[in-house]
Amino acid sequence: MPAFNEDGRLARTLDELRACAAEATLTVFLVDDGSVPTIDEVAIGVAAQGLRVVMARHAVNLGQGAALETARRLALEPRWAPAEGPFEAFVTMDSDGQHRASDVLALASAVAGGADVALGDRFAGGSEVPTSRRVLLAFARVFEHATTGLRLSDVHNGLRAFGPRAMTQMRIRQNRMAHATEISRRISRASAARAKDDALRVVEVPVSVRYTDESLAKGQRASGAIAILVDLFQGFLFGGEPR
Amino acid sequence: MIAEVTPAANALVGLLVALFLHDFVTLARNRRLLLLQALVFALGATLIVYPEIARRLAHFVGIGRGVDFVLYPLVIWLVRESLLSRRRRHEEQEKVTELVRALAASGAHEISPAGARPHTR
Repeated sequence: MPAFNEDGRLARTLDELRACAAEATLTVFLVDDGSVPTIDEVAIGVAAQGLRVVMARHAVNLGQGAALETARRLALEPRWAPAEGPFEAFVTMDSDGQHRASDVLALASAVAGGADVALGDRFAGGSEVPTSRRVLLAFARVFEHATTGLRLSDVHNGLRAFGPRAMTQMRIRQNRMAHATEISRRISRASAARAKDDALRVVEVPVSVRYTDESLAKGQRASGAIAILVDLFQGFLFGGEPR
Repeated sequence: MIAEVTPAANALVGLLVALFLHDFVTLARNRRLLLLQALVFALGATLIVYPEIARRLAHFVGIGRGVDFVLYPLVIWLVRESLLSRRRRHEEQEKVTELVRALAASGAHEISPAGARPHTR
């Protein structure tokens, strides 16, 4: 879970997750992406109340993609594996409260049930998506399909779950918002692997996304789409071989 | 060959001199860079005051105007330079990312339950 200047929204998100902790053993890998002021650990401790939270902090703000990658590497480190045994599923979610804790469990159980990748689909989940977002996401969907070959109902949804096998393949090199396209491309490649047994199984699970004035104000705008295109092009030019 | 001292030539040479004076003060310690700059500026000023030089060179290689003879290589060089510096910035960014990440990983810790003092490793 990446977090950048989320204030009270982060505590609310953790509080909601804690309420679900009875149904599954959860560990939250929280990456403070250079928030100013830094995330208050005492407040987090109060909100988490027994929920296991592993926290790391970027000294400077790098972007959501970079924070996700830091969290991914932490989650794969043996020293953070829970006493109960290795993780069955890895879920990425936003820390601003737009994703529901119950959806996190739904995605995780889809992965535990045999899928390698479970992606949240906010349209099937009956979210009230504002028109401006609908238009932007429609463009993004066409773009993703054209560039990654992955045909999804919902793209750029931060709620995703990966099984252990998929998790090791999801290295993120795009520090900022273009990481969503990068993840789609990796999923697309891995799900189309030549050998049947190597191919990742991808499912979409209905989730609901809560849009609030706060999350809309902080979220992506159309100008962000151009920044994403520039980042993708630079990654294409200078990124070298995909690793 | 005649010197063509038009108002534009005056302005351009004036700009070169002003830039050189500015750098002469700020780069006073970097004598080699200053010398290189003086040579390049002198060449530029010569081409501005004696456009016939560039004109004849341009005709010789089959380019219509003397100005274009200077402009074409300059544009190519600038585009290349901007691409190279973008790549350098991209690489630096990747290094900074790994550095910040390594620092974050070494400082990663479990948040202790409420009430207890948070500990760091």
